[in-house]
Amino acid sequence: MLALDLIRPLCLVTLLILVPSIGLAQQGQPSIQQLLQEPFLDDYYSNVVYGYEIVTDTQNHASRYVGNSLNCSNCHLQAGTQQEALPLNVAGMYPKWRAKNGKRNGIGLRIRECFLYSLDGIMPPEDAPEVLAISAYISYLSQGQIMGAEPEGRGVPTLPDTGYDPNPATGRAVYLEQCASCHGAQGEGVAGMPPVWGLNSYNKGAGMHDIREAAGFIWANMPLGNGKSLTHQQALDVSAYLNLQIRPSDPRDSKFLKLLEHLIN
Amino acid sequence: MIRTYLREATPSFAWRNRLGNWRTEIFAGLVGAILVIPQGITFAYLAGLQPEYGLYCAIFVTLFCSVFGSSSMMSGPNTAVAILIGTAVLPLAGRGSPVYIDFVFLLCLMVGAIQLLFWLMRGARIFQYLSPAAISGISAGAGFLIIMASLDSILDLSTFKTTFFYEKIYVIVSDARDLVNPYSLFIGLCTIAGGYIGRRFSPRFFIIIAVTTGYLSGLLVAFVWPQPVTELEYLGRMPIEWLPLHLPNINMEYLMMSTLLIPYAITIAFIGLAQSLVIVRELKMETEQDINLDKEVYAQGLANLLAPFFSSFAGAGSFNRTKANQSLGATTPFSGIASAGFVLVLITFLGPILTYMPMAAMAGTLFIVGADMIKWRDIKHYAQVRAELVIYLATFISIMFFGLATGVVVAVFLSVSVFMLRISQLELSVEPIESGILLKVKGALFYASLAHLTEKFHSHVGKNLTVDLQFTTHIDQSAVDFFIRESRNMAAQGVRLTLLINEKQGYFLKKMGANSDIELVAV
Ligand code: HEC
Ligand code: HEC
Repeated sequence: MLALDLIRPLCLVTLLILVPSIGLAQQGQPSIQQLLQEPFLDDYYSNVVYGYEIVTDTQNHASRYVGNSLNCSNCHLQAGTQQEALPLNVAGMYPKWRAKNGKRNGIGLRIRECFLYSLDGIMPPEDAPEVLAISAYISYLSQGQIMGAEPEGRGVPTLPDTGYDPNPATGRAVYLEQCASCHGAQGEGVAGMPPVWGLNSYNKGAGMHDIREAAGFIWANMPLGNGKSLTHQQALDVSAYLNLQIRPSDPRDSKFLKLLEHLIN
Repeated sequence: MIRTYLREATPSFAWRNRLGNWRTEIFAGLVGAILVIPQGITFAYLAGLQPEYGLYCAIFVTLFCSVFGSSSMMSGPNTAVAILIGTAVLPLAGRGSPVYIDFVFLLCLMVGAIQLLFWLMRGARIFQYLSPAAISGISAGAGFLIIMASLDSILDLSTFKTTFFYEKIYVIVSDARDLVNPYSLFIGLCTIAGGYIGRRFSPRFFIIIAVTTGYLSGLLVAFVWPQPVTELEYLGRMPIEWLPLHLPNINMEYLMMSTLLIPYAITIAFIGLAQSLVIVRELKMETEQDINLDKEVYAQGLANLLAPFFSSFAGAGSFNRTKANQSLGATTPFSGIASAGFVLVLITFLGPILTYMPMAAMAGTLFIVGADMIKWRDIKHYAQVRAELVIYLATFISIMFFGLATGVVVAVFLSVSVFMLRISQLELSVEPIESGILLKVKGALFYASLAHLTEKFHSHVGKNLTVDLQFTTHIDQSAVDFFIRESRNMAAQGVRLTLLINEKQGYFLKKMGANSDIELVAV
């Protein structure tokens, strides 16, 4: 067993020699672009890069757990670096205490839930390499944030109360006018654009399925490149319209439907 | 010489003439493919890799081994090899992470290269010295490790690690309510029960019955409780490609760190070949196949060397699939080639169904596989000879406590020691003759057996000695030195040493300069 006992310290020593040679020691963090160019990365940075690849191209790098055709970065815009578009620099906010089950819920659970709901897939195990890599990427993004303090622009903006109920009928008009060019008249998404409803979109358990959450996201970021051009009421209406459309069922209530959906897909 | 190497190095296809009934071969290949799919997936888990790598192993290692080999042995994912890959690479990188996978491929390249080296040095013979008790001990130990690993998945203990198995058992027992996932346990138990009941009906396909039971019980659980409640682990979609070409990532930094892998590479190369050769030797004895052991070593080594280029990890011969193959009547490597093809086809079509395969069901089959490797019959068999029992138990226990790699070293060390002890026994008989004493020696005279002879010499001090060496099998330099020293001592006491030798020995002794001090009599 000598060999195993030796491996750990040797490994550390090698890492200590290698890390400065990549030139990371002093100047804070290297950018993702820099990391992508490196021929060799240590365990942490290779996981960061892997996490980045999963977030931007979930379909190819974490296809095991994905059930629709979305990528994380379709909602967490700019690979999770854009404020008010569900940025991912939130490692300092976890673990969260949840009184319900008396457990601390780490960032891992949040990631796994997005796989289950937003990507309408399978909940990966806690120690799945994909989950660990995304966690590494999230802590990389969170460098410099204060533990426990809400980072600026976290989540999506909360829209003020407009005084009117969201109206799907006006939402439909807004959708056809403003959104259909990219997301398709049937919400199916055209080439390169993600679907916003249908069996290839997020399911009814997803955070996006919440009218206020989606309205905040849409108001701040959509139409892409021209965010905050809709009025608050328009955002709420279109969000209510999206909410009425057909999409995969919530895995928490209709198990049988879920199975059928997956067998069809 | 080079001719032989070249002939062994190219696929021979000499078996084409023996390919009497190709339908049998193809059917055997199909059965092999069905058997190997659960193995590939679970062994990939043991190696700390995503399941598709195990399936690629079941396809490409099997294929190359059959194309380049000469027997109907089924190679592919192997338990001991998979466990060793896991223990070797885990200290270097996180399970399944990109660096981890790079290191696994690097390790497999080294394994392949070492095995090819064995082939170049005609190493097939070395493995005969590994005693059968040691091999059974290793297999039983691996079985134990597999059972422990399968518990992780059956009880859903993914996040908790311990060094020794008894710690794990202690923690599981004392903290069962918090740790154990009852849904997962239910599926695991259904699988195991399905396997053992299924064996009554179909000894060959019971693993398939077990997997199916597990899958169905998984569906049942999923039907009643949603995944956020059960937190069940599923196999998931497997991104299977038909030709998963991959260029292993090699650079200076990796090579520097890979020195840590060398001891494991040697162990894996050794244990992989040892198992393959046991299988091949058995085939050679039991069937009429025209098998060349060296060629098999080459095929296995080359398959492992090529494996990383096809996103696969190293493998070795599989006992149970070769047995199934044999009992279905396959006699040529063609069944292996067919099996590789069937795995590819089956996986492509089964993939969507397998998505919802609970890992607990896979782990249940792993449990059965592991339990099968610890055979009560073996223990009783080896209990008859004390030395064998010691080897068996020492190997098993050291694997239980210190892991497979250490266990293999212990097994090799003990086998060689017992072997040495046995051949260093000399058969000596003493007869008084008129000139003094005649000592007849049978056995091999070398450094290890000299102690025995010295005793005899010293109990007859002061008498003329005649030593009959005609029936010794081997004389080494230290034995000659010994005779020269003794004869000088005896000459000082006024007595003589005479050696009765045959022609070959005479030649050797003269070369060593013994004739000036000792009286040599050729017979
Ligand atoms: C359909 C859009 C969508 C997709 C795709 C998506 N998410 Fe999310 N994600 C959300 C929404 C909405 C929230 C915030 C609402 C909530 O907490 O439920 C969120 C929250 C999160 C959070 C917590 C952020 C915080 O502020 O605490 C993490 C971490 C996260 N997602 C990770 C991922 C990962 C990893 C993926 C890809 C595997 C992914 N998400 C894909 C919509 C999405
Ligand atoms: C210029 C084309 C474009 C227009 C117009 C547009 N979107 Fe998007 N939308 C995108 C793209 C591209 C993404 C994915 C973002 C990414 O990957 O960077 C996206 C993402 C989304 C998402 C989250 C991902 C998903 O598929 O669920 C929603 C919801 C959404 N858009 C709604 C809307 C709504 C509502 C409108 C109309 C107000 C709209 N979009 C207009 C291009 C557009």
